[in-house]
Amino acid sequence: MPLIEVDTLSAFYGKAQALSDVSLHVEQGETIAIVGANGAGKSTLLDCIMGMVKTTGTIRLNGEDITGRKPGYMVRAGIGYAPERFNLFPHMTVRDNLLVGAYTAREDIDKNMAAVHRLFPRLAEREGQETSTQSGGERQMVSLGRALMSSPKILLVDEPTIGLAPKVCAEIAEVLKRLSAELGLTVIITEQNANFALSLASRLYVLEGGHVTATGTAEELAKDDQLAKSYFGA
Amino acid sequence: MLQIIIQGLLLSGLYALIAMGFMLIFSIGRTLNLAYGAYIMVGGYIYFWLSQQLGLPKLIGFAGAVAVGAIMGLLKHRLIVKPLKGDPVAVEISTLILAVIMQSAVVLVFGDASKILLPIIPGVVTISGAQVTYNIVAATLMSWVIILALYAFIRGTHTGRAMQAVSMDQKGAAISGVDPDRINMITWAISGGLGAAGGVFFASYTQLSPGMWVAPVIISVAIVIVGGIGSIIGTLIVAHIIGFLEIIVVAVWAPELRGVFTMLLIIGVLIMRPQGLFGREEH
Repeated sequence: MPLIEVDTLSAFYGKAQALSDVSLHVEQGETIAIVGANGAGKSTLLDCIMGMVKTTGTIRLNGEDITGRKPGYMVRAGIGYAPERFNLFPHMTVRDNLLVGAYTAREDIDKNMAAVHRLFPRLAEREGQETSTQSGGERQMVSLGRALMSSPKILLVDEPTIGLAPKVCAEIAEVLKRLSAELGLTVIITEQNANFALSLASRLYVLEGGHVTATGTAEELAKDDQLAKSYFGA
Repeated sequence: MLQIIIQGLLLSGLYALIAMGFMLIFSIGRTLNLAYGAYIMVGGYIYFWLSQQLGLPKLIGFAGAVAVGAIMGLLKHRLIVKPLKGDPVAVEISTLILAVIMQSAVVLVFGDASKILLPIIPGVVTISGAQVTYNIVAATLMSWVIILALYAFIRGTHTGRAMQAVSMDQKGAAISGVDPDRINMITWAISGGLGAAGGVFFASYTQLSPGMWVAPVIISVAIVIVGGIGSIIGTLIVAHIIGFLEIIVVAVWAPELRGVFTMLLIIGVLIMRPQGLFGREEH
């Protein structure tokens, strides 16, 4: 049974349809990537899984139907989310931002805080700093750290490298690999850069105009010339 | 001079307490709760009813006032703020109407003549020629205790941090498992309780009358606009600026001018520094 399974999911913003009949599944411990251009519906898809957007279709976690549940339920059920714009609390310190992430997992604070500091030593050094004064890379670290503070089983990461310097991207990629290798986390990332996505994910879903237009492993997708041109720069 | 300092400190502590509940709703609930004065008025009258008319211990009168204020805050959130979600002007108008209704209810129950609250602690102390009542000293000390407790709660507890988080980024709070609705409800209840507590002390400083809710609202608006939203320290500092300003104007000029400089300060700050002296730029 897949850990998470999305079945014919559609979502609307007002009258505009943002997602149509999207289906995907992720196995326990797997890292998959959703690849697509700006406005393809990647963020909306993650918002839907998190219970932030009304949908039709079904979302199952461990076989249980969780469609239409509130974000608080999703967090308690084990879904962590690092959104594209971070949505940090700008005038709170790094430590307080992380502690808000522990709102639903208070008994695990010491363990999770230690894990976050191990993954991002810089956050331990700067724990008293307000996040409004931090760089994009540091904010991404706080955002990922905050999601990890809720003891998630599955982590949704929206465009982790957008706007970051290549060196920082490599650092973030390294941490995402360790999350799945060391902590056994299941990860869904979204990316515009398919090559970056492939360095992390075993399988890809290509999202275009709210539809899944292709899915498969890197080798499978590379055989499709059109796709290779659009997403792999080949 | 010493008298001005003592009087200023005492009045400012009281103003800080009154403004605190108003600031919370403005920062976290994003509502300019113009009916905030209703908590102050009802707090004063509930205390008067329990401790003076029914003769119950003063502590019970105070606890009763705070409880009623908190329940009023909860009801206001449930019945008005939540159904009108996303429309601050509608919320402000409805809460203002509610305050006027509460005023009529108070007139109906207690009559419209002013009432004098007996001092919380009777007696007078003379400090270098200046007479200071124990009552106002007690009110100020208790205001400080409540303010420090509020500060510790907001900085040091999960609920307090969640309140800050909701005020800064609702989506960020929601994806951390915080229910913004629940946090808003708690904030309204705390604000109501703080307003009612402030009302007991304010009434013992001035007197009880059905129109007593207007002046504290104006003072609160002034403190929050000048201090800037979201800052307990800013609220505390500006409460002292305004408290001292009033005491100095009354002492060296004329009591009639008491509020004028406060108003000028609001307008000045709105023009020069719209985010307030200690406020943050909104993102």
